[in-house]
Amino acid sequence: MNTTTKPKPIIRDCGPEGCEIDWLSSKRHQADLDIEDFTKFSLEQGWGDGLPVIPPTEARVRGFLAKGNRYPDEVVCKLPPMDAECTVEKIAINAVMAGAPPESLPLLIAALEAMANPDFELFGLNATTASVVPLVLVNGPIRDKLNIPYKHGCLGGVATEAAAIGRALRLVIRNVAGQLIGVTSQSTFGSPGRVAGILFGEWEERSPWAPFAERRGVKGDAVTVYGTNGTMNIIDTTSQTGPEFLEMIGKSLAYPGANGFSPAVPYAEIMVAVNPVWADIIHRDVPKLEDVQEMIWNFASFDADYITPKHREQLEHLNRVHKNGRVYLASKPEDVFVVTCGGTGSLHAAGFHSWGTCLTQTQEILSGPNAD
Amino acid sequence: MTKGYVLDPTALRTDDIESPGPEAGPLSGKTVGFRVDEMWRAWDWISEIWADEFRKAGAEVKFWRSAGRTGSEGDRLAKSLDKFWDSVDVAVVGLGNCGSCTGWTIRDALAAAAKGLPTTAICTDNFKELGRNLARRGGRSGLRIHVLPYPLNEKFKGDVDPVAHEHLAKVIKTMGAQLAAREAAE
Repeated sequence: MNTTTKPKPIIRDCGPEGCEIDWLSSKRHQADLDIEDFTKFSLEQGWGDGLPVIPPTEARVRGFLAKGNRYPDEVVCKLPPMDAECTVEKIAINAVMAGAPPESLPLLIAALEAMANPDFELFGLNATTASVVPLVLVNGPIRDKLNIPYKHGCLGGVATEAAAIGRALRLVIRNVAGQLIGVTSQSTFGSPGRVAGILFGEWEERSPWAPFAERRGVKGDAVTVYGTNGTMNIIDTTSQTGPEFLEMIGKSLAYPGANGFSPAVPYAEIMVAVNPVWADIIHRDVPKLEDVQEMIWNFASFDADYITPKHREQLEHLNRVHKNGRVYLASKPEDVFVVTCGGTGSLHAAGFHSWGTCLTQTQEILSGPNAD
Repeated sequence: MTKGYVLDPTALRTDDIESPGPEAGPLSGKTVGFRVDEMWRAWDWISEIWADEFRKAGAEVKFWRSAGRTGSEGDRLAKSLDKFWDSVDVAVVGLGNCGSCTGWTIRDALAAAAKGLPTTAICTDNFKELGRNLARRGGRSGLRIHVLPYPLNEKFKGDVDPVAHEHLAKVIKTMGAQLAAREAAE
C-alpha cells in the first residue's frame, strides 16, 4: 500500500489579508473606490478602455493571485512596444480591473506568452494602421471550466466570463505592452475586438477534425493566437456538398483589399470557422483535411489581371503571382486554418483575415506548479 | 465615496538614452547604408536621389531591403541586416509611413544605433510622433528622426523628386553629416 502523503502545496500568495513580506511591487495610488469614480480615474490615468473597471485594490489582487498559485514577481514575457516586463502581478491587476475570474490566470499567461513570440510580430501589430487584434482560440477541457463559448454566438454576444477574460488581455496590451491609440498605435479604424478581444473555443466534440491546437502539436488545454483584422461573414444557403461549400468559402475570402494581398505581405495565413453542420458535410465529401485546405486555398485566389497593373507589379515583385497567372491569399494550403465552432443553425462560416507577416502561435495552458 | 489604494496596472521601461548618438560627420570615404522596404516606392525614389548626392561627395552607398520579418524568412533577414549594419559607417533607415512600418523602421534604427552607428530614421509627418514615441519606448528617445512631408507615397515621381532635393540639406543636418570637406571646415 502506498502510504505517501501528498505534499502540502506551497501557497504563492497570502491571500487577501497579505503577508509579512509584501510580494506586490506595483506603485500604489490613492483613489475613490466607487466604480463610477474609479472608472473616471482610470480614464484620467490612461488605464481604462471606457467601460466600467473594478478598482484593483490590494485585497482583490491578492485574492486573485492566491487562487492562481503563481509568484507575483514572475516575469511572463516582455511585450512590445514598451518591452517592459509583464509580470504575473501586472496580469493580475489588469485581470481584476477587467472582471476576469482568477481561474483564467493560466489561460491569460499562455496567451500572452504566445503573443510575445517574435514570430507573432506584436511589435508591428500593436503599431499598425490596420484594425488587427490577436484572436484567441481555446482548445481543451478548460473551455468548459471557464465558459469559453464555442457554440451559438461564440464570436460575441454570449453572456459568459469569456468577455472579461478577453478584455483582461486587451488591458494588458494597453497598460503593459503600451498600445495606446494615437500614441503608439496608428490604427486607422480600430476594431470592436480591441475592447474585449475575440476569444472563443473550438467545438471539438462536433468537429470531424482533430482539435486545432493538437494539429499544431499541443494536446489538451491550449490557446492559439492569430492576428486578425476582424470577422467576415460568409453566407451560403445554396450549397449541398462539401466541394460547393469550400468553393463558396474560398472565393468569398479572396477580395483584392484583403490584407493577405497587400504588397507589404510576402506571405500570409487565413483562418476559417466552419459551423458543425457544414463541417460534417465537408468531411463526408472531402474526408482528408489536407484536401479541404487545398480546395479553400485554390479558390481563395484571383487572376492577377483582375487588379490594376500597378498592384500586379508590386505583387510580382514579391513573387506572389504564380506561373498560372493567379495570386493566392495564403502562401500555401497548410496556411489555411479550418476550425469548427458556431451554432447548429448553420448557414454561415466566419472568415478571419490575417495581418502582415504575423505567424500564428499555439501555447499549452499550464496550471501553477502545485495546482490540483 | 470610499477612498482606498489601488495598484498601478502599467509597466514602464525606465532606461533611456537621450543622446542622439554620434554625428555622421564628413561623408567622404564613408559607407552610408540605406534601409528601404517593399512598400514605399516614394522612399525608393528619395533614397536613390540622396544616394547619388552622397556618392558625389565621395561616399560609398549600400542598400538593404526589408521584407517578411517572421519565421525562417525573418531569421534570414535579421542576420542579413545585422551583417549589413556591420558593413556600413552611417545608417539611414526608412520609411516610417504606416504604423507597422514605422515600428520596424524605428526598431531597425535602434539596432543600428545600438551598434554605435550614426543613425537617422526617416518618417513622414503623419507618423513622426509615433516614431518618437516608439524610440522613447525602445529606450532611445534621442534617436535622430528626419521628417518628410505627408502624404508622400500617393504622389507621382515628378512630384516626389523635388521633395528629395528640397530635403537633402535638411537630412544632412539631421544626420550631423557634411557633404564636402569645405562644409566640414565651416
